[in-house]
Amino acid sequence: MLDSFLNGLAVVFQPMNFLLLTSAVFIGFIGGALPGISGVILVVILLPVTYGMDPTAAFMLLTAIYGSTVFSGLITAILYRAPGTPEAVMTAFDGYPMTQQGQAGKALGIGVLSSAIGGLVGTIALIIFTPVLASFALKFSSPEYFALAVLGLTVVASLGGRLIYGLIGACLGLFIATIGFDPLTGTSRYTFGSLELAEGVGLIPVIVGLFAISEVMKRALGEETHQPLKKVSINIFDMHILRKIGVTLSRSSLLGVVIGILPGIGASTAAMVSYSEAVRWSKTPEQFGKGAPEGIAAPEAANNAAAMGALVPLFALGIPGSGTTAIILGAFIMHGLQPGPMFMVTSSDLVYAVFAGLFIVNFMILLFSKPFIALFTRLLNIPYSALGPIIVMCCIIGTYSVRNSMFDVWLMLGFGVLGYLLEKLKFPLVSIILGLVLGPIAESELRRTLAMSRGDFMIFFERPISATLIVISLLLLTAAIVVPLRKRAKLKAANK
Amino acid sequence: MLIKQSLLAAGSLGLALVGYASVTIASDTAENYPTKPLQFLVAAGAGGGTDNFARTVKPMLEEVLDTRVTVVNLPSASGAIAHQRTANSEPDGHTLDFASSTLVTSLAAGQNPTGLDELTPVARMQSDVMTLIVDPEKYPDFESFRKHAEENPGEVIIGGTHAASPDRMAFLSFRDASGLDINFIPYDEEGSVSANVMGGNIDGMFGEISSTLSYMESGEMMPILVFAEERLENFPDIPTTVEHGWDLTDGNERGIFVNADTPEAILAKIEASMKEVYDSDAYQEYEERVNLHYREGWLGSEDYRQQLEKNLENYKRLLEEN
Repeated sequence: MLDSFLNGLAVVFQPMNFLLLTSAVFIGFIGGALPGISGVILVVILLPVTYGMDPTAAFMLLTAIYGSTVFSGLITAILYRAPGTPEAVMTAFDGYPMTQQGQAGKALGIGVLSSAIGGLVGTIALIIFTPVLASFALKFSSPEYFALAVLGLTVVASLGGRLIYGLIGACLGLFIATIGFDPLTGTSRYTFGSLELAEGVGLIPVIVGLFAISEVMKRALGEETHQPLKKVSINIFDMHILRKIGVTLSRSSLLGVVIGILPGIGASTAAMVSYSEAVRWSKTPEQFGKGAPEGIAAPEAANNAAAMGALVPLFALGIPGSGTTAIILGAFIMHGLQPGPMFMVTSSDLVYAVFAGLFIVNFMILLFSKPFIALFTRLLNIPYSALGPIIVMCCIIGTYSVRNSMFDVWLMLGFGVLGYLLEKLKFPLVSIILGLVLGPIAESELRRTLAMSRGDFMIFFERPISATLIVISLLLLTAAIVVPLRKRAKLKAANK
Repeated sequence: MLIKQSLLAAGSLGLALVGYASVTIASDTAENYPTKPLQFLVAAGAGGGTDNFARTVKPMLEEVLDTRVTVVNLPSASGAIAHQRTANSEPDGHTLDFASSTLVTSLAAGQNPTGLDELTPVARMQSDVMTLIVDPEKYPDFESFRKHAEENPGEVIIGGTHAASPDRMAFLSFRDASGLDINFIPYDEEGSVSANVMGGNIDGMFGEISSTLSYMESGEMMPILVFAEERLENFPDIPTTVEHGWDLTDGNERGIFVNADTPEAILAKIEASMKEVYDSDAYQEYEERVNLHYREGWLGSEDYRQQLEKNLENYKRLLEEN
């Protein structure tokens, strides 16, 4: 295997391939940084270009673009609270407050470092453990997915702010997730006969509206105080911070890999679950949402690790782990290749060249991100009266391009207004996203599980992985409710 | 009276003129067609089989018709938006709807309001073979699967994509014909279904033969029943539905549709152009590369319509009985 990997590196360092890889990283940087232009769209746009290339070069290009878009979504998330990709939405929660406090450079540095580390952990797992991990992924079926979604949802109880707001937010997210065709029977739910709503409310219109648009409104109405920024200096290797976020980084990278390899669950979910866990295990959970360094490290390490993890089932089993990898699978078929269990054997040269390419891409991210981000930070000096409308325009184009739908644009603007109003109430927007992302998984997997067991709930406890996850969620939920109650009781006793 | 008569005469003359004019315009437009760039509306997301089909045909048709084509993906609501937009477009043959069998399956399930009265099929170009796929360690052949299902009624679970998908229709028609008591669970995407079959969580799935080749090689998954009249040349060991006395041969098909009001002449011209694309070496090479060459794909406008109508009736009946 080491041999194959070294051969792969040799292929990557051929001048033409290296040039291709470098340009792929830059294309990915730009696409990822623009709100709404996600990895999916970039890969689709470049797909026809690759038909003329030899397959190895083509897939190095596509996977490198994929990896670098997942990274660069953090730039606009941190600087303008306009997540460049859905994967970066969690990064905005703590990254943007840091920018408001004049610490954009620090926030970006943490983001870049966490992304690169997460990406490297993911790539190494991909190179060494692909066959093992793939058989682990097959152990996950509906009961396990449901248990995982429940574990993610229980974090609502530990998020800062008023618990009742968190619950309302999560329910709102869950409700939005029910709109559209029922995933199992195909019955319309809350569509009011509209075909546009039949497919459900997309994640991108909601994220872009709730975060980017509401922020532009806030600043346009002059309700936002912003520390003036003259110069942003990005410090990627800050030992002091590294020590502080080290634990979060390791946990999130591992979580990212594990969640990434599960078919059908992508990097956005991984970022969300690892953010939740960072909050849960933190000694200072109240700092999250106000500019906690761990709040940037957790989602960024996890989403980059998960993006690489999502390639594991693609290469080992021919099953895509996420939206973008599904398109890469289509690209393989168009090139006359059949990813499947034999792919690693029959096309080992191609596979290891792609792996080596991804390995190098993570270092390129570390190297090139600084000058690239500098371009974006300079935009901060543009008066907001000009920058705000540009952000709105990018949001509209990006949202439209996802499904070629004007309806989604109106939806996005509607969610912008909603987000603005909810933030006035100090409503935690993160709980809405939590419900929206995890809701569909929880719902359909619960129903599939019960279809598998013909209505018997014991199936959750008969399977070891799901039983463990469910028991952990129950314990965490009880702890989250009992601990504050006991604290309050103690305080009362002390006051008497 | 006289005035009335002359008015009438003038009126009918006018009508005749209008009729004549529209006929000449129609044939003129067929000769000049296309007068502007074409638009392909793909009733599926980017990167899937239908999208690849449209994007492969695009440069070939551009050459045949000497025009430009833009491709727009409209995956929302299983492609229903693409069908609706095609039906509402100018009936001049410049908007082509690229769709799979999902068009009729979602129509039968009431999820797609645009019926075959608003859309005219131009041609079918792909016909993939539906198969029953299982883990060969669990069921080495169709007989063992059948025996297990007969002995354990209600226990066998088949996975599929969604409730109105071609593979659900394959499941329903298979259950209807074989009389086996088996169940269906829909998943969000085909990848999850295969993962569950390989992981042993469910018993099998219905899928196209083109997508299972690499699994057959490694022995992770195996087709054990082919929806076809005769055994496939490349897979002589796999029994067919017809040998078991079940008249089930429809697989997943992909074709092109236009607004139903499109003039005959233009329709004929598009059909002829598509036939030229279909017969080209480049297109046949593509079919072979993506393993769609096991069965003749081409079906002209009229034949395709008849088959779609037959399938639609059948699917409606199956869904009602279910």
